[in-house]
Amino acid sequence: MSRVSTSLSHTLVRIGLVAAIALAPAACGGKRVSRIDPNSVTDLSGRWNDTDSRLVANALIEQSLMAPWARIYAETHGGERPAVIVGEFRNRTMEHIPVGTFIRDLERAFVNSGAVRVVASADERQGVRAEREDQQEHARADTRARLGQELGARYMLQGELQAIEDQEGRERVVYYQVDATLVDLETNEKVWVGQHKIKKYIERSRLGW
Amino acid sequence: MSRRILVVSLAALAACAPKRIHEEPILENGDRVQSPDAVVAMVQNQAAVDQANRMDRRDQIAAEALESCTPEICRAVTRGELMLGMSEVQVMAATRTTPEAWSIRRSGSATVMVPRSLSHAPRDGMGEVAMVQLRDDRVASYSYREAQGIRLVAAPQDASVEGRAASLADMLIREGDDLVARGDLDAALDRYDRASVLRADPIIDYRIATILDKQLRPVEALVRYRLFLHKLELERIEAVGDAYAKLADAIAHARERVIVLEQHSH
Repeated sequence: MSRVSTSLSHTLVRIGLVAAIALAPAACGGKRVSRIDPNSVTDLSGRWNDTDSRLVANALIEQSLMAPWARIYAETHGGERPAVIVGEFRNRTMEHIPVGTFIRDLERAFVNSGAVRVVASADERQGVRAEREDQQEHARADTRARLGQELGARYMLQGELQAIEDQEGRERVVYYQVDATLVDLETNEKVWVGQHKIKKYIERSRLGW
Repeated sequence: MSRRILVVSLAALAACAPKRIHEEPILENGDRVQSPDAVVAMVQNQAAVDQANRMDRRDQIAAEALESCTPEICRAVTRGELMLGMSEVQVMAATRTTPEAWSIRRSGSATVMVPRSLSHAPRDGMGEVAMVQLRDDRVASYSYREAQGIRLVAAPQDASVEGRAASLADMLIREGDDLVARGDLDAALDRYDRASVLRADPIIDYRIATILDKQLRPVEALVRYRLFLHKLELERIEAVGDAYAKLADAIAHARERVIVLEQHSH
């Protein structure tokens, strides 16, 4: 009887050891974080990601800066650069897409190009105006920012993002279209229309979780 | 037989199955997305050169314009306003433009300057310039594109605040007349009302009174008819023009309507 119990306990110890050895690498694995190049393409789920945002920004930057609208404005205004305000970019897809990422890229390109002036948007202005009002009361006279000196924008950048999805079994195709428009604030004339399209083919593996 | 059925059903299944997509990917995991900095830098360099050239040209024009101007024209150039008697260069200096902004046509002693692009028309301190006409190299008239139409400045008084107001009132009256002809009395009333603020002209009150009368608003119409007659009386006393003679029919109609409306109100 005791021999049977001893062999059972040995078997249990062996099973325990095997299990411990098998689980040890998993326990030591944990989380792995590494910094990677922000320009690298990293598609995980197939949803909208940073790569799409960068592709849209690049396309719109190139299209808008290569178009003649800013040059024509400067030519007809004695070298003055056109002032642009960023308006609303509507996300008409079902996904949550932070449109601010490529809009900021576009804004940055406009400012850095030196061909266009960008004024603060409606939301950004509130804080600046509050600060200016505050200065009128509390700042030294020679350092106060003057009232009524805001630069009026001539053009407003607007746009929208749309998506079309098609799915069958393990395959899915997502098509994104980003349209951007620059509208003359006085005449409503569209002086530039930019567009970028992205089509993604997503195939789930048969053995995927 | 059974083998045939099997083959046919397999073929049918294959036909129903979705088509595979065979497209080469243009961007895959691990690829790099190019930065737009190169494009921005290229545009930046070009814009800096262009801007420096244009500013240089503009300053040159300003210096040329101020070199030989009368004090009045010099002041107008500094304020950025067009003025009769200016030269071509002074027009450009006043509108802060270069020849690129204009399309200039010459015929004998007459020169016409029109904006090269209607969507980017030059502006002076007063508004968007539609056309500048020069005779013997001096501005003889110029016009602005206003919301109601083209406003012409052909005499010094047209360029004053009063002149501008009178011109805008004229445009509003014309617009109001068109609306009356189309049968839109509310919109016409709005235009006449706005015109009456810009110019104190009895005929505007008469038009307003008539519309109110047509709209069956007797109390307001009565007030306006009275105002019209009162203003004419003032004009008669001041002996300004021959208002009575010109508006004889309007006066007769207004008096008649005053009597009728007064009787109704009692």
